[in-house]
Amino acid sequence: MTRLETHDDLKKFRDGVVAQRNSKATWLAVCAGTGCRAYGADKLAEALEEEVKKRGLENKIGVRWTGCHGFCEKGPLVVIQPSDICYQGVQIKDIPAILDKICTGKGDVEKLCYLDEGSGKRLEKLDEIPFYKFQKRIVLEHNVLIDASEISDYIAVGGYSALSKVLSGMKPEAVLNEVKKANLRGRGGGGFPAGRKWETTRNAPGEPKYVIVNADEGDPGAYMDRSILEGNPHAVLEGLIIGAYAIGASEGFIYVRQEYPLARNHAQKAIDQAREYGLLGEDILGSRFSFDVTIHRGAGAFVSGESSALMSAIEGHVGEPRPKYIRTSEKGLWNKPSCLNNVETWANVPHIITKGVEWFCGMGTKGSPGTKIFSLVGKVKNTGLVEVPMGMTLRDIVYKIGGGIPGGKKFKAVQTGGPSGGVIPESLMDLPVDFDELSNVGSMMGSGGLIVMDEHTCMVDTARYYTRFLANESCGKCVPCREGMRQMLNILNRIASGEGREEDLPLIEELAEFMEAASLCALGQSAPFPVASTLKYFREEYEEHIREKRCRAGVCQDLIAYEIDHAKCKACGLCQKACPTDAIDKSEDKVFTVVQEKCIKCGACFSACPDKFSAVIKVPAFTIKK
Amino acid sequence: MDANKSAPQLNVLVIDAGGSFVEECRKALEGEKCEIVVAGSCKEGLLSAETDQPGVVILDLETNDISEFKMLGNLGEIAPDSVPIVVSRNATVNVAVDSMKLGAFDFLVRPVNPKKLLESVRQALNYSAMQREGQSSEQRADKHDLLLEGLDVFGEAYSIGLEKREFLDELGRLESAAQSHAESLGQVKTKEEAIAEIHNDLLDADAIMWKYDFQKNALIQILLDVQEQFRWLPRHILNWISGRLNIPLSDIYVIANFYEAFSLEPRGRHSIQVCTGTACHVRGASELLMKISATLGIEAGQTDSSQEFTLETVNCIGCCALAPVVQIDSQYYRNPSKEQFEKIIKSLKDEEALV
Ligand SMILES: Cc1cc2nc3c(=O)[nH]c(=O)nc-3n(C[C@H](O)[C@H](O)[C@H](O)COP(=O)(O)O)c2cc1C
Repeated sequence: MTRLETHDDLKKFRDGVVAQRNSKATWLAVCAGTGCRAYGADKLAEALEEEVKKRGLENKIGVRWTGCHGFCEKGPLVVIQPSDICYQGVQIKDIPAILDKICTGKGDVEKLCYLDEGSGKRLEKLDEIPFYKFQKRIVLEHNVLIDASEISDYIAVGGYSALSKVLSGMKPEAVLNEVKKANLRGRGGGGFPAGRKWETTRNAPGEPKYVIVNADEGDPGAYMDRSILEGNPHAVLEGLIIGAYAIGASEGFIYVRQEYPLARNHAQKAIDQAREYGLLGEDILGSRFSFDVTIHRGAGAFVSGESSALMSAIEGHVGEPRPKYIRTSEKGLWNKPSCLNNVETWANVPHIITKGVEWFCGMGTKGSPGTKIFSLVGKVKNTGLVEVPMGMTLRDIVYKIGGGIPGGKKFKAVQTGGPSGGVIPESLMDLPVDFDELSNVGSMMGSGGLIVMDEHTCMVDTARYYTRFLANESCGKCVPCREGMRQMLNILNRIASGEGREEDLPLIEELAEFMEAASLCALGQSAPFPVASTLKYFREEYEEHIREKRCRAGVCQDLIAYEIDHAKCKACGLCQKACPTDAIDKSEDKVFTVVQEKCIKCGACFSACPDKFSAVIKVPAFTIKK
Repeated sequence: MDANKSAPQLNVLVIDAGGSFVEECRKALEGEKCEIVVAGSCKEGLLSAETDQPGVVILDLETNDISEFKMLGNLGEIAPDSVPIVVSRNATVNVAVDSMKLGAFDFLVRPVNPKKLLESVRQALNYSAMQREGQSSEQRADKHDLLLEGLDVFGEAYSIGLEKREFLDELGRLESAAQSHAESLGQVKTKEEAIAEIHNDLLDADAIMWKYDFQKNALIQILLDVQEQFRWLPRHILNWISGRLNIPLSDIYVIANFYEAFSLEPRGRHSIQVCTGTACHVRGASELLMKISATLGIEAGQTDSSQEFTLETVNCIGCCALAPVVQIDSQYYRNPSKEQFEKIIKSLKDEEALV
């Protein structure tokens, strides 16, 4: 491939690849994101390619390995294009039927279509399926359409036209102004206006200036950044190049956590290809603007996602935060002005440039325009990645898109904002989701994890979970965070094991207030939020643990025990097989019994017991005779 | 110093079992005031050295086998003032290092650069003469330096970042490291085998550092590559990196301790990672972990005694739809039952048995 030297070259190249794409009547887009690969999507795609070849259909049907389609619950996913028919849970044995259906119109594919529980109907098309129907997919739109390892695919769907527009006549100030006017707010957590940050870096003294992509995604339960980098790395790259141009940076970094090998590979490939095509490197598209990017792998530390820590890690040091009397946008990497934004933030930039500020501000709320991607996970039917306009209510996200709670269980809360966020109870479900509304109720947007919890999730345990996480991840540099987290964890452990004291709750509140005020970085400052918000909305659960030694959700292991209801036990023996510690005995009357001394409370028997019997039950530990 | 003047009467013994080296040698030493004596085998060479007490013995390593190395060792006893130079066609760092340790004055790669050989022979003759005159220990220490200079033959492989004198200390350390390394892995190895292995490790570490131009700020990336290749960060490699990049070992340990990706203990050949991300947690990750831990008989963070499996928890692997999920090597599994898990483990064991 020769370099694209001019804007015209790019246009001609695009026309060429579009024609090539259109030469095939049908494309099968196989989701090859990490989620679907875990279900075996890569083998499926290979088998599809083989079968297409075997039938001699290569000229008519193409198979494309794409990024994450979002509906991870139902993987592996295959979407037929251009008709947008979506098949779910596709197995290799289904391949002949799919090809028959495409070629002859006959083929038993009905069972692969989405089953709408309400109407009992099978829904074929993407935009009929509720999971997709209520979304507004902007950043994720192309994930279904392109193979991330082919730059030509991205260019075919209009990629790099924003860069071309910027470099063929917009002044850096004009680009900056667009982003400022669009009020694009950082998608990585705080929601700080990206335009303002860009401006600070642009105006700060010091050369060279750096731009950085934060793909550390340390928030457990969130995977949108991963999916963007896996499915559409060029969009991030294009946004970064545009940002570099506006800011006046000549060098960029992508900081990817090493737990994301596929994302790293795709990002590296994207960089290599962009360089080869002259979209990165010297004199981009003949504009005299030069810029290049390097990938840096994060070695796994939550705190390293924080801006000053991340930059210290890129320099090769320990990824610890420093006090930010001077912001990293002014003095960051090697003490030079450095602009750090989240993956999703960068990926929004090309859209704003091509479609305009008005279009962007037409979505979302006044304070938070645009869309946001959430990872909708936990106790929800349709687990997956969803992109919605800001301002959609939590209820709509959880019920309309997510399909509600599985197994007829009762909803309890949604957790947003990860370890720095909080829980939101049923009573606040009609809250429109944007940066400010979430902060107002004691949570935060965070990176976009939405973890749904039902009646079998314990709030003390949830608080303890985040506290343990943060106590492990605290870098230890400042005392309020290091010691505060440890003491907080001690108290919560005490409560969860039934040793809680009446005065623990006020103690927690006092500690929380202190940590928020005195910690060095946002990790420590926001660390008490999960505890504070669970305590605020679910105080009675804490009190139950302390006063009655009871965990109503049946989660806190010291407070529960497993027993077998002899009246229900049919002696099928499944529980005994499942038990890893031989703690289940067959008693004389031919039913099974849990030997409490051997039981480690792993719940294997509980899950193994068929639903129709439900003979294994959880009981409060104090009811068991010692 | 003029080698020609100070050692005119000493011979050069060339041990050339293959018969092809003598010519190279003659060419290089053309015009030198020294006689070249040729021996066709190690045995012949030793005999000749004993009677002749030459100034220099050039040994062409033909086979790299033990007898050749033994000869090098014996030479020091029967002709203590004859200075050995080793040449070899198949030079590896191991061979070179072994030769130097057995007292070789220089090590050259064939085909030899005639100028280099000439220079080396002159220096060696000179040195031999000095020894015969009963030199002070100070000059003996010189030998040490000259010895080490020979290592430059390998490109800068062993000289970047390390002072030459430190190199021998390093070798000493490596030997003991090799021993304990072998022991820690529960492998019974001879010292030589262990050392050879460590040398290979260091070469691998060098290859990794080359990739990053020996840049200090690439330390984390380098350690990640080492971790990936070796599955842990062995001490001898960290020592090595410390010397090469001129970073204090303590700084390297700070980094190795801070980041989760690094392990300072050997890990098993298979990694079992139970995801404890929030989505997995609310869907029963702790129960899954308990089940797996009870089945394997090890706790999270431990490796079984046969170094086969390491069980760990990981913050989030971003497969939340499959929660609770466990990653075994590069495969993901959704909440496997005890039986399914046992089956996976068994198939991994079977695979290994095949290999
Ligand atoms: C402890 C901690 C961890 C963070 N982790 C991440 C992360 O994984 N990804 C991310 O984009 N931002 C993370 N942030 C936020 C960054 O500091 C920074 O604000 C953000 O990357 C800026 O990008 P944005 O303005 O586009 O959101 C973290 C912040 C803190 C305090």
